[in-house]
Amino acid sequence: MNLIREIYQSIVRRDPLSTDKGKSELVFLNVWLHIHPAKVKKENLKFKHTFYLGFITFFLFVILVTTGIALMFYYRPYPPHAYQDMKDLQFVVFMGPFLRGMHRWAAHGMVVCVFLHMCRVFYTGSYKKPRQFNWVVGVFLLLLTLGLSFTGYLLPWDQLAFWAITVGTNIGSYAPLVGGKLREILLGGHTVGEAALLRFYVLHVAILPSLVILLTVVHFWRVRKDGGLSRPIWKLKTNKPEQLVTIGVPPQTAPAQVVAASQEKTYGLMEVVTGKPIFETVDPEEEDDAVFSYPFAFFREGIALMATVTGIMAISLFFHAPLEELANPAKTPNPAKAPWYFLGLQELVSHSALLGGVVAPTLMVLALLAIPYFDRNPSRRPSERKWAIWLFTLFVVANLVLIVIGTFFRGPGWAFVPPWVHVVAGAE
Amino acid sequence: MNRRSFLSWGSAGVVALGSGVGVSLGAVVRFLMPSVFYEPPQVFKVGTPADFAFGAPTFLVDEKIFVFRDREKGFAVASAVCTHLGCTVAYFQSDQRFHCPCHGSVFASNGSVVHGPAPKALQWYEVTLARDGQLRVDKDKVVPSSYRLMV
Ligand code: HEM
Ligand code: FES
Repeated sequence: MNLIREIYQSIVRRDPLSTDKGKSELVFLNVWLHIHPAKVKKENLKFKHTFYLGFITFFLFVILVTTGIALMFYYRPYPPHAYQDMKDLQFVVFMGPFLRGMHRWAAHGMVVCVFLHMCRVFYTGSYKKPRQFNWVVGVFLLLLTLGLSFTGYLLPWDQLAFWAITVGTNIGSYAPLVGGKLREILLGGHTVGEAALLRFYVLHVAILPSLVILLTVVHFWRVRKDGGLSRPIWKLKTNKPEQLVTIGVPPQTAPAQVVAASQEKTYGLMEVVTGKPIFETVDPEEEDDAVFSYPFAFFREGIALMATVTGIMAISLFFHAPLEELANPAKTPNPAKAPWYFLGLQELVSHSALLGGVVAPTLMVLALLAIPYFDRNPSRRPSERKWAIWLFTLFVVANLVLIVIGTFFRGPGWAFVPPWVHVVAGAE
Repeated sequence: MNRRSFLSWGSAGVVALGSGVGVSLGAVVRFLMPSVFYEPPQVFKVGTPADFAFGAPTFLVDEKIFVFRDREKGFAVASAVCTHLGCTVAYFQSDQRFHCPCHGSVFASNGSVVHGPAPKALQWYEVTLARDGQLRVDKDKVVPSSYRLMV
């Protein structure tokens, strides 16, 4: 008995969870949990503040890594075999369709959730000082997510995959000067062939996931170092500077602008314990609001995790990932469409390849990156940032409209065909 | 170590490090540029003239070309790759035009753009008669659309 206790205590060294010290130590002493502060603001945990979209995005990524590794056991990135392996996964491998489904639906879900998460961060003004850089990290995560989806799209080596990637990579070749060479490097050739499949595979299973993991770590670390989650909008109060204390900064040097940002920050016990935090400014009045991460935050995150996993599993039980005919370079399906999240881009490209395919997306990404530095309005209250909200909403709606047109309103020959008109394939 | 030697050794070090990094990056880019292409050859034979009918062009699937044969004018070879984003165009005998399924570009029978997002005309390739009597197409040699091979 003593030995068992000794072993247990060599692993778990914290005090019992019934004590406050135990609850703090659970967080401090655990490598996985210590990214959390020991205490969080109860109000920040509210579903209607973050919709837990960042967490859901992360959990979807975890699902993708897990199912992706499973799929790798049965997939060879070489043209004739790749498609056969897909067929095997579809019909022969135990639980193959379920695995493929989970991987596919989680991938679509991640694109949706990362976008919604970005919208949430924008509408709550959570990219403002001191969180500007974390927004930039986020934009790169968004691009990496799209890159992962795009490279994954080629791997089944069916008609859908082949033509979506042919069209997609040709868009890139319109970039002035370097375009053609870039495409050659990406494809390892002049057309989508075996070299391209291998390169996309390496990007998809090794390079891009590693980059996502790297940046996610930075992203989470920054959330923490920027003072935890931003305060919910409804908790923003009118400035009451006199009541604020800035920890780690001598009182007389506490500048006015620190005060303005202060209501958007929480602070963790750990910072107080270990010395000088970077940004912490604490409103003593709000201290009552803080609760221990265990169990409050962990419980909610656990719910989000379980909801995400069960949701994706349930969908995968009923809907299987599509698989068309073997890729045929000679026969272009009509209409040939890129993955749905690129159909807005394809719609633009159908008007002008250079403007729509290179200039517009580049400007969009640059605009996204610039938002936190360009928007100098310190207020996070929606009523005080109407312009920003209008502009961003315009951006979101424009993207959605283009995607909807590209997805539902484009028929053979990219002609405008409303979805309610029955299209006879090949009738021209 | 005095200030002067610190600066000179320091800048030499920075230069050495910088060029090392530069050269390595260049090597990485060069590594990624394929040195060999495992792709269909650019020059190939497509058969004897007698294999091709007059009138509607023959579409060669693997080579992605159309072979035109005209009674008076002879042979011509057009690329089937849309100049917009690389989909394969189809030739419609009904209106004597090329139609691209992807974004609706339409090309006249001489390859010029009728409408659609395609920025340039379809390419025409040199076709010659090889010693063995077969037609030989060279995709590296782009010719004007008026080019014809009389047989
Ligand atoms: C792989 C993609 C991403 C993952 C896994 C991720 C994950 C997270 C998580 C877990 C949080 C904590 C709060 C929450 O759930 O909302 C968060 C916060 C944040 N994210 Fe992301 N994120 C991603 C992409 C993005 C993107 C695309 C942006 C914006 C362009 C962004 C900007 C931010 C900012 C500024 C915060 C702090 C928000 C606050 O303090 O209220 N993230 N992210
Ligand atoms: S690829 Fe032919 S119109 Fe776009």
